[in-house]
Amino acid sequence: MFNYQQWLFIHRYAIRDIRRSYKKLWVIAITLFISLLLLSLTFSIKQSLNDEIKSNSVELLGGDVQINSGITPLSDERLLQLSKLAKVSQTVNFFTMLSKPGEGAVFTDLRSVDEHYPLYGVVQTEPAGAREKLLVETGAPAVLINENIQNQLQLKVGDELKIMSTIFVVGGVIVSVPDLTNSAAFGEFAIISKNEYDKFDLRTAGSFLHHDTRLKIPKSNDYDSIVDAVQSLLADDNNIRMKLPSDSAQSLRRIIDNFSNFLNLVSVSAMIIAGIGISNTLLSFINQRNTSIAIKKSLGFSSQTIQLIYFYEILVVLLSASIVAYAVGVLSPLVANLVIPASFGISLQPSFSLLDYANVAFIGLLVVLIFSIPSLYSIPSIEAAALFRNTFQSVNLHFSAKNILYLLILAAILVAYFVLQTRQQTLTLSYFFAFFVSMFVFYGVAKFLIFVLRQLPAFPNNTYKIAYRNIASKKSLAPIITISLGIGLTLLLTLSFVADNLKREIVQSIPSMAPDLFFISVNKDEKEPLEVFIRTLDSDAIMEFNPMVSATFVALNAKPIESLVSRDNRSHWAIQGDRRISWSVEPPEDNLIIKGEWWKPGNSEQMLVSMDSRVAEDLGINVDDEITLSILGREVVGIIKNLRQVDYRGMGTNFAIIINTAFAQQLPFEYVGTLKSEHPSGEIQSQVLRQFPNISAIKIDRILSKVGQIMNKIFIAVTSISLIVIVIGMIVIVSAVMVQTSLRKYNNLIYKILGVDFATILKAMTLEFAIIYLTLISFSISAAAFASYYVVENIFTLQWQLDWGLTLMLTASTGIVTFALILLANKNMFNPAVYPLIRNE
Amino acid sequence: MTMNKSAIQFSDVSLSYGTSDNRVEVLKGISFSINADEIVSIVGPSGSGKTSIIMLAAGLEKTSSGAIKINNEDITNLNENALSAVRRQHVGIVFQSFYLIPNLTALENVLLSLEANQKYNKDEEAISLLTEFGLAHRIHHLPSELSGGEQQRVAIARALINKPAIILADEPTGNLDETTSKNMMQLLFDYTRAQQTSLVLVTHDNDLAQQCDRIIELKDGNIV
Ligand SMILES: Nc1ncnc2c1ncn2[C@@H]1O[C@H](COP(=O)(O)OP(=O)(O)OP(=O)(O)O)[C@@H](O)[C@H]1O
Ligand SMILES: [Mg+2]
Repeated sequence: MFNYQQWLFIHRYAIRDIRRSYKKLWVIAITLFISLLLLSLTFSIKQSLNDEIKSNSVELLGGDVQINSGITPLSDERLLQLSKLAKVSQTVNFFTMLSKPGEGAVFTDLRSVDEHYPLYGVVQTEPAGAREKLLVETGAPAVLINENIQNQLQLKVGDELKIMSTIFVVGGVIVSVPDLTNSAAFGEFAIISKNEYDKFDLRTAGSFLHHDTRLKIPKSNDYDSIVDAVQSLLADDNNIRMKLPSDSAQSLRRIIDNFSNFLNLVSVSAMIIAGIGISNTLLSFINQRNTSIAIKKSLGFSSQTIQLIYFYEILVVLLSASIVAYAVGVLSPLVANLVIPASFGISLQPSFSLLDYANVAFIGLLVVLIFSIPSLYSIPSIEAAALFRNTFQSVNLHFSAKNILYLLILAAILVAYFVLQTRQQTLTLSYFFAFFVSMFVFYGVAKFLIFVLRQLPAFPNNTYKIAYRNIASKKSLAPIITISLGIGLTLLLTLSFVADNLKREIVQSIPSMAPDLFFISVNKDEKEPLEVFIRTLDSDAIMEFNPMVSATFVALNAKPIESLVSRDNRSHWAIQGDRRISWSVEPPEDNLIIKGEWWKPGNSEQMLVSMDSRVAEDLGINVDDEITLSILGREVVGIIKNLRQVDYRGMGTNFAIIINTAFAQQLPFEYVGTLKSEHPSGEIQSQVLRQFPNISAIKIDRILSKVGQIMNKIFIAVTSISLIVIVIGMIVIVSAVMVQTSLRKYNNLIYKILGVDFATILKAMTLEFAIIYLTLISFSISAAAFASYYVVENIFTLQWQLDWGLTLMLTASTGIVTFALILLANKNMFNPAVYPLIRNE
Repeated sequence: MTMNKSAIQFSDVSLSYGTSDNRVEVLKGISFSINADEIVSIVGPSGSGKTSIIMLAAGLEKTSSGAIKINNEDITNLNENALSAVRRQHVGIVFQSFYLIPNLTALENVLLSLEANQKYNKDEEAISLLTEFGLAHRIHHLPSELSGGEQQRVAIARALINKPAIILADEPTGNLDETTSKNMMQLLFDYTRAQQTSLVLVTHDNDLAQQCDRIIELKDGNIV
């Protein structure tokens, strides 16, 4: 169709045009830049967050796979097979007495570790490096103890300690170990070497031993296939339980899910906003150049060639914008590291990949293609004939049947390409759908406004007449302005509302997820004395105690639950290992019953169950289903009576399963509790432990600081992304303003020449803007409230709140900024000398 | 192709605007023919249809009835792209308001006309033409840096550079003072004669019209 020479000409012409009039292209460039930046940021934030969570959860678990074989170690044969797949580390945990001659003894969670321990992270000790002493074979063996033991037995480094009948030497004090999750061990905790443990020869002693084998999968290998291989290796033994890192980050799951949902929403919006911006700026670009286009046509250039020149210009802009945007996106972690206070403990790594860039650029290309078609196809309607009559009418977006077909095909490709990359596909699809629907809605709003204005009687007032003519005339650009402004404003409001709700949840979660102490194994009779005692230490302490027993989820409607729920089910955690279940007479505060009914008191024969509605939904559990729980070794069948919305934001211990009190009272139970106090938690902990030696008090701030870190990160991400969203929202608005500028300038000048005074023109512009904006506000707020309600309540499963202050602030500031932009764009109207302006047009 | 072949031929051409109840009949079945080396002026009162004829000849307007031939090719039923092709190969247009592309230099504006015909890298040709038009020192200036007369000379160079068969000029000197107009027209006459190009000149200036080979006078949509 075109030969090489012609392409060369198009290329040269486009480049020259860009060089000479880049000022007119900067809005397109900036729109593209910011939205592509946002796109690559969402991709890279998602990636780095996943990496962060993965590495944290791997550390929390202590390996890529944790294998618990209970009281027996794995057979040598199995270990050999495993060691072919990954690096293996074995630990054994058991409770035993540590005694210091003359000072007494403490019951301690003793861990024996091999030379590979820890596979991930480090054991921090005081003095540093004490972990190495465990490997020394000569002299008395070393033991590492924690602070509690040190305090209780008044030990220092070098002192002797007796375990079983062996004398150990204190090698150091443990400050932290990486794998905290399943060692409920911040009561009394000590580490010795596996060699020494083997010398105890407890194999036949029938003690209560926990054998854990952890694996570190080499980086280069395919993680999933190795996990599968490990799984099939162990499948034949029912006593072996396998745990993966994803199981250890449960407390974060929900927020992480919500956050990645939010990112999806944002990136879809960013593209759409950018698209509208491009289509508007391109249209105004074409309108500003309609003389040049007409001249080219009079010289015999075809519309196609002219379209290609402009399209080529946009592609060049796209290419540069995408490179810069991707580069900034890649480097942004470095900037973030500088900006985020070091105390958050966040360190982000920039990661560059050509594939990622291609991905961003390809999406950008599709968006540009889609949104430039209706603008570029306005070029054929610019006629060279205008040069003879000196009349240039502004052209509008062009939608022919052929165009619409192209648009549909391209939009389908974009949506498919984008949706296939996301995890929540139906959700992402519905975001796109909602956007297309709202486009039509706002088009309808524009037509409706024009219709209403035409029905109104003609006010005999100059201001009104001018405003009326601008909106309701045949060639009015009001529909485009209304759609752009409407979508821009709605997306701005929706995203702000969603971000606001998400931020609220995170803010509430950060303190609430950080009680200082966690009490377990609190005897029935000890609960009250413990509460009283803590009150004497800190009368303001916030405490919450719940009765509990441990239970394992065995079956659902008599089918083994493991066979019903796959490992990647969102709520798989609820069926894994021992869960704590609790009971109560009344439904817990804030827990809304969404299905079924709460039970009446009594009925001690039958176990009645109330279940977390989200877990129930994920596991396919319904009211009246029968579930089998194994409680203290006994299998009990219960009936699901209701589903409850659990508010995990509270500071208390939350239970996915609650049963009826009458039934539970027959069970031997204990209490678990949380404590939040202004006082140093270590002090309270040691006082409590001295007074109540049987209770385990766990200092959890160390575990939670990891959780807190991730939370902080998400919070910062949400905040900064909302700021960027506001910027791109503004860009659409700028572009909407620009579309009408050239036409309006001309009209205003004519009015001025005709002697309409400045005040009237200004008043007319204000009135026109007010009519459009006020119509839009009500639609936009309703649409945004509706959309954000849906997202927040149904997808994030949070409680939605509308912040009227925020709404008012956003709508008012958007209105003011937009109107200011309109005035700015028409600033030469304020120029008293009219004639020179016309000559320059 | 002989020299006396007609460059433009109108056969019973009518042009009307608007729909039935609100119809303006601009041209009422006119016929004329202009030879390949002829210089013809079109005169007539305002609103008589002069510009309309030029637009029809340039393929920028469609006839309501009748046929138009450009270089013996019937353009009446051609589509947009084919009309563009006819225009870039055979027709040069000169407007009253010059219409140069504002962000291109004088030279680039002239080259654009060649580039429309896929003739690239002909800078020398364009420079020599502009030099002959007395614009040697203005070659690399933008239109905004040129006087009206200079702009119109660039516009004429742009129309001529392609050696078209036909030049259509709608009041080319309407925006210029008398001396400048005279010089300008001399240039146009000289070059069209030298290149044996036909020229259709719409003008209100009687003197100018008299210098042409033939005058077509319009009144109320008819040739008188
Ligand atoms: N789009 C249109 N719709 C209706 N009438 C039109 C249209 N364009 C031109 N006319 C009418 O056609 C007639 C001829 O116009 P044209 O421009 O050809 O006149 P002209 O002879 O060039 O006049 P002038 O000397 O003033 O330039 C005029 O009466 C004009 O009103
Ligand atoms: Mg005219």
